[in-house]
Amino acid sequence: MDDTRQKLISCFQVVFPDMPADEIPAASTATVANWDSVAAITIMNVLEDEFRLEMDLDDLADLDSFEKIHAYLLKRQEVA
Amino acid sequence: MNITEALKITQNVPRDARPFAVTLACGFTPLHLQTFLAAHLQQSLPDRKVTISSGLYGNLVGTLEAISSAALPDGLVIALEWPDLDARLDYRSAGSWGASAANDIVISSHAMLDRLAAALLRIPSGLRAALSLPTLPLPPLFHTPGWQSSAYQLHLECDIVRLAADIAQEGRIAIVNMQRLAEDSPANARFDLKSDLYSGLPYTMQHADRLASQLAQTLLPPPPKKGIISDLDDTLWNGIAGEVGPDAVTWDLASHCQLHGLYQKLLSSLADSGTLIGAASKNDPAVVHQTFERPDLLLRSDQVFPIEVHWNAKSGSVARILKTWNIAADSVIFVDDSPMELAEVAAAHPGIECVRFPKNDYAAGLEMLRHLRDRCGKERVSKDDALRLESIRQSAAFREQTSGGAAPESFLQGINAVVTFDFGAGSEPRVFELVNKTNQFNLNGCRYTEADWHRLLASPGAVLAAVSYEDKYGPLGTIAVLAGHVDEGCLHVETWVMSCRAFARRIEHQTLKILFDGTGTTEMRFSFTPTAKNGPTRDFFTGLLGEEPQSEFRLKRSQFEEKCPALYHEVREMRRAEAHG
Repeated sequence: MDDTRQKLISCFQVVFPDMPADEIPAASTATVANWDSVAAITIMNVLEDEFRLEMDLDDLADLDSFEKIHAYLLKRQEVA
Repeated sequence: MNITEALKITQNVPRDARPFAVTLACGFTPLHLQTFLAAHLQQSLPDRKVTISSGLYGNLVGTLEAISSAALPDGLVIALEWPDLDARLDYRSAGSWGASAANDIVISSHAMLDRLAAALLRIPSGLRAALSLPTLPLPPLFHTPGWQSSAYQLHLECDIVRLAADIAQEGRIAIVNMQRLAEDSPANARFDLKSDLYSGLPYTMQHADRLASQLAQTLLPPPPKKGIISDLDDTLWNGIAGEVGPDAVTWDLASHCQLHGLYQKLLSSLADSGTLIGAASKNDPAVVHQTFERPDLLLRSDQVFPIEVHWNAKSGSVARILKTWNIAADSVIFVDDSPMELAEVAAAHPGIECVRFPKNDYAAGLEMLRHLRDRCGKERVSKDDALRLESIRQSAAFREQTSGGAAPESFLQGINAVVTFDFGAGSEPRVFELVNKTNQFNLNGCRYTEADWHRLLASPGAVLAAVSYEDKYGPLGTIAVLAGHVDEGCLHVETWVMSCRAFARRIEHQTLKILFDGTGTTEMRFSFTPTAKNGPTRDFFTGLLGEEPQSEFRLKRSQFEEKCPALYHEVREMRRAEAHG
């Protein structure tokens, strides 16, 4: 498992402490009831803390699953 | 604190921890303010589980008006912002910024503040509350350029400050110090327009954290330190009195020694509000005595007790002062200009806070003055605070008469002791303060939030006794509190504290006697828990029970009467309308 994926799982555990770790990679706004707009902003801010990057609120709407966020982070790291 | 740390703090709480429910009243989306507030409160209450609920978006006053005595939270936090006064002050609003709107905004804000004041007045007295005034800049809606204050803006600010002053004067709601907040959270780093428009949270992350921190501190302030022990030469005054003479030490502006004068003024002010001030100096006692007689000293000599002056180690002086005050080292600050003396005292008295007097460093000096005020400051000053130092002098005289041991019968008989029991003082601030700061004679070390305390007093069969004492040496003020409830002929004592100033006068025996008599019970059940500091309580009960209690126990009236020594107090009882039980 790549470092980014592992760190992203840790971020999800902070935002969704009751979610079992093995369910996190499949998480999305469609499958997680608690993943509302507040949780989305919290995820974004936790990612900013943990990955030391600045994210744009405009990106939030597209980042609606673990996999999409993972891909987004990998892309940001490539650019950096 | 960042958001990840805040979330982890709120999650790492024992599952069975007792809840501490807080209502957060704000007109915006609380989002991270709520998370940070929970985290900062959680740090202050590690054995509780902090939960925060917020009201409806855009309806701060409605949230306050919905608070009911039937289901009181443990705490209330109010984060006021300009849009709570008029929606046109909200960047998210489509309301006009035209010239005609400005005067109307002032008028409608005034009306909303009246409604807010009424809602704040209706907050039940048992609910601890903290309020922050608007922290964000007003939108650029008035006709003046930004560098000039508009009359409308000044009217708005004036109205809100007047409301806050009235609330602060009334004393039931604590107001965040906006000047201190400005130091921690610069004005130009507070507002996040994009976050406001996208999520409804107008704060930057940093500001949400800083404001939450101050709101938490205002809601749950740390207990103040009880005393300051100060060095004299080059600390209370500038110069070595033994070398230059008592008349040549200085603390004034002309001598460029005003920092020492400011320090004296601060200590004097703290003494007036009940902080104990003692002195420890390696010096010639006669020289110190002469210096304290100087009329221009800004700290009166009668405000300092004890004064330990000799050439031996200062740790010994501190030990004797702590013994005279009868308080633990961790309740005290020691101030000295010498790092060596500070280290010596710190090594001998673990827990004591040592502060270096920063001679000739004015920035550090100002920081020290503010720090001492922060550590010793109190929300309110009671008449008991004014009595404290005098009663310690009396206790010292009392101990001298009794040579530190059990008081001889003839002595106790002759001191004209009067014990007053007040059975309706549950909402007195001094009673609540005593319960939460007393360590040595304390049944179980349990600390209460205001809401917990009021719940205890409102429980069926509740009994509360606040005990005051005076004798021929003078009054000690309110020195003991016992609270519990009567259930099936038994008084269950849930909390019992007594100030260490009142030891050795048999007040604890008189308290049990009066409560056995007054409640008509034949047995008491004590929620006793041994703590690191409540040895005097354990010793008292060991004397009655014949064995050391380890946990909750029962005491029969016959057991008590068998062991109770002769009591010589005159007893007075007060029963007010709000009396419990």
